[in-house]
Parts: sequence; structure tokens; C-alpha cells
Amino acid sequence: MTWLRTRIEALGGRLVDAGRAGVELWLVYVSTIAGIVRGFASRKDRRGRPKGELVRQLHQIGNKSLIFIAVTLGFIGMVMTYEACNQLSRITGTFEMVGPQYIRLIVSDFGPTLTALMLATRVGAGIAAEIGSMKVTEQIDALRMSGVLPIDYLIVPRFTASIIMTLMLSVLGSLVMYGAGGLTAQYTFGVNPNSFFDLDLLRPRHLALGVIKAVSYGAAIPVVAGFCGLRARGSSEGVGQATTAAVIGSSFAVIILDFVISAAALFLFGGDL
Amino acid sequence: MTAFLEFKDVRKAFGGKPVLKGMSLAVDKGEVMYIIGTSGVGKSVTIKHLIGLLRIDTGEIWFDGQRVDGLSERQLGPLRKRIGMVFQSSTLFDSMTLAENVALPLRKHQRMSSSDAEAEARRRLAEVYMAEFADRYPAELSDGMRKRAAIARTLALGPEVVLFDEPTTGLDPVSARRVDRLIRELADKRGVTAIVVSHDPPSIFSVADRVAFLYRGVVHVVATPAELRASPDPVVQQFITGQSSGPMETPGF
Repeated sequence: MTWLRTRIEALGGRLVDAGRAGVELWLVYVSTIAGIVRGFASRKDRRGRPKGELVRQLHQIGNKSLIFIAVTLGFIGMVMTYEACNQLSRITGTFEMVGPQYIRLIVSDFGPTLTALMLATRVGAGIAAEIGSMKVTEQIDALRMSGVLPIDYLIVPRFTASIIMTLMLSVLGSLVMYGAGGLTAQYTFGVNPNSFFDLDLLRPRHLALGVIKAVSYGAAIPVVAGFCGLRARGSSEGVGQATTAAVIGSSFAVIILDFVISAAALFLFGGDL
Repeated sequence: MTAFLEFKDVRKAFGGKPVLKGMSLAVDKGEVMYIIGTSGVGKSVTIKHLIGLLRIDTGEIWFDGQRVDGLSERQLGPLRKRIGMVFQSSTLFDSMTLAENVALPLRKHQRMSSSDAEAEARRRLAEVYMAEFADRYPAELSDGMRKRAAIARTLALGPEVVLFDEPTTGLDPVSARRVDRLIRELADKRGVTAIVVSHDPPSIFSVADRVAFLYRGVVHVVATPAELRASPDPVVQQFITGQSSGPMETPGF
């Protein structure tokens, strides 16, 4: 019985910790939004925020991820189209619907989701490592002593930059994925480019869905990663743990958001989606 | 008469492990109080409670007649103008020059314009002989120089109390003694109250007005440096003479 009681207590402790972490994550998100609103509302509240930080973060999150996203999504697009054409060649032997269905899927799901998953690893890890290092070296405490809210200073610029750049990179990634898929279909299965690059099935709601997903992912990644960084404890080991947690947490957030937003869209549009 | 600054029966645990177990300490205005004790005994934890960087589990903390342990982050703002802290590592912000680092609290706490804050920051840096490095980044400087700049940043707001967390750790002996002299001058010339966490015997015995020895989560002894040297308590003697064997329990050994 003692063994059972110990197990139940341990499980209860973990649940309490998880609940507490969930509340803290929510508070980081709310504080980030409040920081953005305050920044717009009052010039005084922008005082103390690092100069040019938004531009630096746009460069860090966007420009530095450009090749990584283009190459990754290009290869995934090639493999996906090849596999789709391969299966179709065994079943129907016709490829007219490959391109139109493919662009619909890319725009409404694969483009933003795969881009965000890649960004969750690169950007999420970077944000958690930077903020985690500041936490364990007491720089966050020094910020608080200087009258600066750490979330305003560290997460707000990354949040804004991440939303803008996830959207931009999703567009780029989708284009590369589409182009690479089209070339693969043409050179491996002889699919006519005119039928592949046919946008007939694409509707404004697909674009809206893609934009909503990209913006949601862009907002989630820096909040989850920043939260993990702010929870870093101890020394370099703590920073390592925070970085790992950030990659897992932000990737998981992307998957969950994809599910929730897709389910909501399916509920709204039904079979027309 | 109540003390200028007082900890009353403060308890704090991390992950169920108690660190402070009913710690009480009173500090008078203008005095230099050293807090000493073995690593992990809760010295830094104690001073961080005073400015709300950590929250106590139970107990009370009073500063200048006001209870401060339950203040919100926003309410702590005015308190952090009056109580400054010099951290163990210099904690300068890597992306800013020294002048920008020192100007930051002036812009946020004093609501100074960027140009006024920068001019004031350069003046503060000159006080710690760092004027010529005002436009350099922290990564380009030595530990001692970074520490001096961090002290300038803390003093920029003109605090009534300064908390020093191991200010001489990692410094060469000459830089360490300069920091000691600075702490003493702050108390003697400006009436600043200083609470210093330290392991450094030359610093403790040359600068402190009183010394609080933290042991087993409580203040074991509060005494002047001379009284501490003469103390018959074997635990105190083992600590100040640095003996590896003796009655003292040391966590982790």
C-alpha cells in the first residue's frame, strides 16, 4: 500500500506542476499581448525596450531561416508529389487532379504547418537558449531591478517578428513546395505543367485558413519557447533542458493548433473545405 | 525602536527542501552588514527576498516601516529604486554598451529622456573610473571592469540600500580591495546601508560593521568582526579559519 500511495502522490505532484505550468504559460501569453497593447498606447512604455530589436529579430527569425525553410519544404514537396503520382499511376493512371489538390493542401495546411514545425526547431531552440542563459546568469533579475518587465523586453519583439516572419516564410515555403512538386511530377511522371499548376480548386477560404494557421503558429512559438527559457534553472544543464522543452513544446503547440484550427474549419465549411 | 530593515522568522523551501528555517535579522540604517555562511545555506536567497526577486513561504520582511514581502511586481517598482542590487555575475546586458546599460534603469525608473539618461550614465561610469569604456560592450571587458560598470548601474538611481551578492568573487586581489573600499565609502560618505553576501575573509574583516553568520537555515550569530574573531563557538571558528574538519555540517560534503 505504501508503494501505491507513493505512486499516487508522485502522479498528483506532477499533475499539480503541469497545471501550474499551464497557468504560467497562459500568463506569459496574456502579458505579451498586454505588452504589445501598452507599446502602442504609450510612448513611455516603449522606453527601455532595446532599439532596433524588432528588426534584429525579423532578421534572426526570418532571413536566417530562409534557406533552411526553402530547402526542407522543397524536398518534402518533391517526395510528396512523387509518392502521390506513384500511387495514382497504379490506381487510375491519370494525374490531372494531383496539382489542383496539392496546392489546396499546401495553402490550407502543409505550407504553414511544415514551415512552423521547422521554425519551432530552429527559432524555438534559439529563443529558449538566449532567454534561458539570461535567466541562469541573473540578467532577467537585473532587468526587473532596472524597472523593465522581462516579457516586454524579451518576448514582445520576438512575438511580433515571429508572426510576421512565419507568415512570410509560409508563403515562400508553399511556393517552393509547389514548384518543386510540379517539376518532380513533370520529370518523373510526365505530368503536364498546365494541368499541375491549375488553381481551379483553390478558394479564398483555403488562403484564409493558411493565414490564420501561420499567424497562430507564429504567435505560439516564441511564447512557448520564451516561457521555457524563463523557467530555466541552475546552470548550463538547465539551459539545455529549457531548449529541449522549447523544441518539444513549440512543435507540439503547432500540431495541436493545426488540429484545432482544421477541426474548426471543417465544422464551419463541412465537405466544402 | 524598529530596525531600518528586518527579516522576521523567514522560511523558504525549494522543491520541498527547506533552505531558510525561521531566519531573523535586523539591519540598522547606514551600517554595512555582511552575511556569511557556507555555499547553499541561503545567503543570496535571503537578500533576493528583500526586493521581491524571490517570495518567502512564511515570515515577514520590513523596510523603513513598511512590510514588503507581499508586494506585487508593480508595487515593487518604487522599492527597487530605493534598494539596488549588485549581482554575483555582472549581469550587464550583452547587446548594450556600458553607457546604455547604466542608462536603462534611469530611463525606466526615473523616466529620463534617452539623452539625459546617457549623460548621467557617463557621469556614473566616470565615478568608477570607467568613463573611457562607456561605448564598449560588456564582452570586450574584463570581469573586474564589468563588475565596476554593474556597480555604476546600481548606484545610478541613488539607492538608500545596496545589496552586494559576492562582490569580490572572481576578481583579482587589487580589484577586490577596490570594491571593498567602494562599499565602505558608500556607507561613510553617502550613508548608504549595505548588505553584503561574501566568502572573502579580508573583505569581511576590513569592511563590515557587523557580520551575520547563517547556519542551518537560521542566523547563528550576529557580531562585529572583532567579536567574531574572538568567538569561542567552534562552528564560527571552523568557518572563519577555513578548517576542513570540525563540527560544521556542510551541505553536499
